[in-house]
Amino acid sequence: MNPEPFLQLDRVIHEKGRLAIMSMLAASPELSFTELRDALTMTDGNLTTHIRALQEAGYLAVAKSFQNRRPLTTCSLTTAGRRAFTEYINLLEKIVQQNRPK
Amino acid sequence: MESNWAAENLQTIRTLMERSALYRHALAPIMLLAGVIGALTTVTGLTLDLNLPRSFGALWLGAAAVVITGAFFIVRRQALKHSEPFWSPPTRRVAQALAPPLTGGMVLGVAFTLFPTAGVVDFTLLLPFLWALFYGCALHAAGSFMPRGVKWFGWVYVGLASGFLLFLAVFQPDVEINAHWLMGFFFGALHLAYGAYLYLTEKGKNAA
Repeated sequence: MNPEPFLQLDRVIHEKGRLAIMSMLAASPELSFTELRDALTMTDGNLTTHIRALQEAGYLAVAKSFQNRRPLTTCSLTTAGRRAFTEYINLLEKIVQQNRPK
Repeated sequence: MESNWAAENLQTIRTLMERSALYRHALAPIMLLAGVIGALTTVTGLTLDLNLPRSFGALWLGAAAVVITGAFFIVRRQALKHSEPFWSPPTRRVAQALAPPLTGGMVLGVAFTLFPTAGVVDFTLLLPFLWALFYGCALHAAGSFMPRGVKWFGWVYVGLASGFLLFLAVFQPDVEINAHWLMGFFFGALHLAYGAYLYLTEKGKNAA
């Protein structure tokens, strides 16, 4: 078995929580902090940590605004984030395919 | 082993992506359309004095058909504008969630319209509450795949319709109320209020 694809997997995205955040944002133009937190049943602290890690990797953009005079934090994938996510999915598919019985 | 793990991960990603794809389109214009049609139908019903069960039911079922057709065209136009498929997974899920309670309401409406049992209960007065109750259930179900406000909007219908029904059943107040006013309140005023709220908040969010 070729271990190459597995070794190429992006370690930033590979973590379970961050992968969930990336997956949700890949299907939506943007999601609020609350929407992510509720959908993934994460604590505020946990989600903040993951968002920061993804932001530092350049995969995620965070915008702060106000809605009905309440602060609103929205997250979206950057172009680099979308590309990294696509590559991650492609590698997973490659792993599945190379282990499929012939 | 590695393959199983990768396949499971792909499945999780697919599930999360499907869950995240909320239906966000065209909500404000649809609410405003429903509100305007609701208000116009109220005025029509009151002006033409369409108070018999058959004419009342036909008028409001006709109004519902106009709103559903209009909503269809609004959603289709927006999908074309954004180069998205009309029958997307979020649209399908919302339609599936709305279908059972709306069908229940429609069947009940048609039954009351075609076979009114005059003299037993004033069905014309009962129908707006039942329709509002079914509609609230439909909104609540669809709210699982739409922004959170829709679920609360569904609860407003369920709460108000149940509250009014309970009040009427328990206290049996001696009030003469035209059912068109009830329909105007439930399907005109409430839609206009929610549509205006969505329009203003979405505008504010876009501007921020």
